[in-house]
Amino acid sequence: MNLPEGQLLRRRVLKELATALTNALELELTGYARLEPQDTLLLDSDGVGVITFENGIPVAVFHTGTDTGGSEALTDIGSSGPYRLELYELDEAMLERIHGSDSLCVPPGMPAKQLTGNAELVERTRDRAPTERIEPDASPTQHLDAVESFLDDGSKIEAIRKRARTEAQSRAEEWDFSTERQT
Amino acid sequence: MVEVFAVASGKGGTGKTTSTLSLGMALASEYDVTVIDADTGMANMLFHTGLSDTETTLHDVLAGDAPVEAATYERFGMDVIPCGTSLSGFQQADPTRLKEVIATVAEQTDVILLDSAATLASRSAVLPVVLADRVVVVLQPTIPSISDGLKVQEYALTYGTGVAGVLFNRVSEDENIESVSKKAQRYFEGETLAKVPESDAVRAARRASEPLLAYAPGSAAADAYQEAAETLTIQETNSNEVAKRFRNAVLPDEA
Repeated sequence: MNLPEGQLLRRRVLKELATALTNALELELTGYARLEPQDTLLLDSDGVGVITFENGIPVAVFHTGTDTGGSEALTDIGSSGPYRLELYELDEAMLERIHGSDSLCVPPGMPAKQLTGNAELVERTRDRAPTERIEPDASPTQHLDAVESFLDDGSKIEAIRKRARTEAQSRAEEWDFSTERQT
Repeated sequence: MVEVFAVASGKGGTGKTTSTLSLGMALASEYDVTVIDADTGMANMLFHTGLSDTETTLHDVLAGDAPVEAATYERFGMDVIPCGTSLSGFQQADPTRLKEVIATVAEQTDVILLDSAATLASRSAVLPVVLADRVVVVLQPTIPSISDGLKVQEYALTYGTGVAGVLFNRVSEDENIESVSKKAQRYFEGETLAKVPESDAVRAARRASEPLLAYAPGSAAADAYQEAAETLTIQETNSNEVAKRFRNAVLPDEA
């Protein structure tokens, strides 16, 4: 997925994905958020998550590591933090091609619902979204369907667990923790 | 007998402190319970327990300036050891002294609950998970929260800590939580302890500086925590042996 480089507005380390969405909403950003996993252990496999916005409202999502788009890319973004966030401003015309792709577009409230579970942020996003874009995520169970799909993907879950084990073992050495119970 | 639990989640906003205090109060009807704010970098238990004006906290104990007893307060049927919120207190605290604190408390209580940090990014944040016998993993039914919960579980298991179970928190009415928790159970060890509904009572309790079970004992969320406490089986262990184990735990003195 190629996106012309925009003008960098903000760069920060994220504890909560809600921050990325809230920042974009408050800035009424037209452009994109680039989410790069912070942990060097994850860099080789995870790639970068991108969420595009029009006037602060999420439009399209893709993930360069897994080559996924739409809801599936949100799952990949959601399962591999913590992130470094970069927010870029980009001319609407430059986003046209991506925003025309059905496989990448998501309903306005879906990123907030799926990535944060924050009902207030979902509502605020939907309130500010253009009317013609609101309908598709009327189903309240939609994000739960995504959670269930995530839990059905045993290989993805196993990859998360395996990476966490590797990370925990590596940090045990770094922090001088024993990996066996002291008795 | 004594068992030490770390209440952990790996990310913020899941309601760890509310969960720690609620489980503590629910367990206190049967056991002697001590809750410790082990989130030494971002403490907030004192705000939930009406202890915000307290002078002596865990920071002072970890700095070697006060005995554990001086930072222990009887509140809501439990012993509460809050942590301070100042940066200088955090800087002067030696997190490895936490094992001494637990060893001392273990001699005089049945259950110790450690409210843990919302991150796995630093040594002091992970320490409660390392020191506990078992973790209670607090989850929201979202992909990031479940992913982080899986990470907490793997850290715990890697460091020889067991998993007591998972607690789904802040569950909205429109969520098909039964199906999600059933699927999540395949990957998490221990029990699904409860599914606690999102509740205005939780925010109101926090504003009133009281634990949920004191402020709104009849609320649906409080009922779910009672159920969680009933599901949690406390393992019989000898207090002296546990105290000895913590005193002898091999951890370097400096972070």
